[in-house]
Amino acid sequence: MKVTVVTFRDIFQSEAQELDRFGEEYRKMSAVVFLDKNDASKAGIKDGSNVLLESDNGRVVVVARLSEDSHPGLAFMPNSPWSNRLIPAETDETKIPSFKNISATVRVTSDGVPTVEDLLREMVS
Amino acid sequence: MAVCTGCSLLCDDIEVSIDGRRITKTKNLCRKGFGRYRSLSSDRSVPKVDGKQVGIDAAISRAAEMLRDAKRPLLFGWSCSTLEAQRKGIELAKRTKAIIDDTSSICQGEIVEMVIRGEIPTCTLDDVRNYGDTLIFWGCDPSSSHPRHMSRFSYFPRGEKLQRGHEEDRTAFLIDIRASPTAKILSGNFVQIPPGGDADLIDAMLAVLDGKIPRVRDKKAMIAMMNTLKKADTGVIFPGLGLAYSLRGRMDRLKALVDRLNEYTKYNVIPMVGHYNMRGFNQLLFDETGFINRVSFADGIDHGPMYSVVEASKSCDLAMVVGSDPISSLPAGIAKALARVPMITLDPHRTLTTELSRVVIPTALSGIEAGGSALRMDGVRIGLDPIVKSEYPSDEEALSMILGAI
Ligand code: SF4
Repeated sequence: MKVTVVTFRDIFQSEAQELDRFGEEYRKMSAVVFLDKNDASKAGIKDGSNVLLESDNGRVVVVARLSEDSHPGLAFMPNSPWSNRLIPAETDETKIPSFKNISATVRVTSDGVPTVEDLLREMVS
Repeated sequence: MAVCTGCSLLCDDIEVSIDGRRITKTKNLCRKGFGRYRSLSSDRSVPKVDGKQVGIDAAISRAAEMLRDAKRPLLFGWSCSTLEAQRKGIELAKRTKAIIDDTSSICQGEIVEMVIRGEIPTCTLDDVRNYGDTLIFWGCDPSSSHPRHMSRFSYFPRGEKLQRGHEEDRTAFLIDIRASPTAKILSGNFVQIPPGGDADLIDAMLAVLDGKIPRVRDKKAMIAMMNTLKKADTGVIFPGLGLAYSLRGRMDRLKALVDRLNEYTKYNVIPMVGHYNMRGFNQLLFDETGFINRVSFADGIDHGPMYSVVEASKSCDLAMVVGSDPISSLPAGIAKALARVPMITLDPHRTLTTELSRVVIPTALSGIEAGGSALRMDGVRIGLDPIVKSEYPSDEEALSMILGAI
């Protein structure tokens, strides 16, 4: 399923980040994507499913959550090293990355959600 | 009273009881600020050189050596340091002929620059509390990002001229993509736009002011909103990251709207700066160089997008990161480029960036373990007094030691 990924800041995630960015709590709050209920059911995605998000810039596995409000076509992700896997490294002449308007696909996967350590390992590979 | 450095509101009414280094009781902190205070004892960084734990002096002298040898160093971060530390940072950049940039370069820089240059009018948050009767939160979610913004300054409080607060005296609109927690508070006045829809919305708003029919779905609501905005006594716009990203490179659209609204009544702009002293760094560098970020001291003073962290990460031969976690916050492709460069990091906590750094210099947590001063999001200077002692130097002290050792 095609979606537009928009990142945002969440207070619970910010709190977890202050406390321990290597902790499980921070990962739980960060490695998630909020999907529209109807979109998700059409794509066979359930609340709590692991999903693979892929953009032109990268891919990442996170946990799907279904939003209370409807927002067809949009996928909201807390701003984090997980969402940053999808953000283009190429920028326009302003040199300000586009964090809030990314085309991506999303589908169910049996792969696991990477830990911060996994992301770091990949960063230096 | 203590100050919270959890965000750029720098709340200065915080009550803290401590027992040794342990915080036993706090009052007035929001959840985010409470996290900041509790981080005093969680996941602190330790001095390291090449992955091995060393004494702080060894880490400082290795950092000085690396800076001395670098041909094209990048000094990045700064928005979580005191003004005093930032001043040292700018001195260090000059001394090492470095590129210096801060987090505004990847977020609110364009709007903050217009405010600092006086290209759009601004005011203080105290003015907002006393007189701001018509507010626009734009591309932001203060309930989550600046949790006490609406209660201390903007929406809920009584002000000198606004004795009946939000119930009768204040009107606030929210323009955003997402039905955020703030949208729940301002549900009657929530204008939902598609991603990237900000410029079109500005066009529609300007069209109404020109007496034309706006090209939006709900024309009636748009006209009603513009009538309310026109009738304001004192209007304030709070642009957040959503607007900053959506309008990047086209901030003249925001300025056009602000100018046009000012033909009816006073409208000010206060950007919703995130980190506690980003505004301070931008002001200091501006006073020193005429630019708020993206400066190179390699040959006099030069400025431009090639000195942004995004570009410099690819071209520098050393990066010193102060109080920031770019490996976490940059797009992965750019973070990967930065990870290939030798890094020196000064931070109170272990971060993704410290994990990949050749040298880690732990620092005291400003506001809690180290004093100084900072500029709130509206440019008001707030003094910070430490409430506990730290075994590690403040950013300012660590930078002074590096300057001394170069
Ligand atoms: S609103 Fe910001 S400064 Fe105030 S207590 Fe919360 S995090 Fe701290």
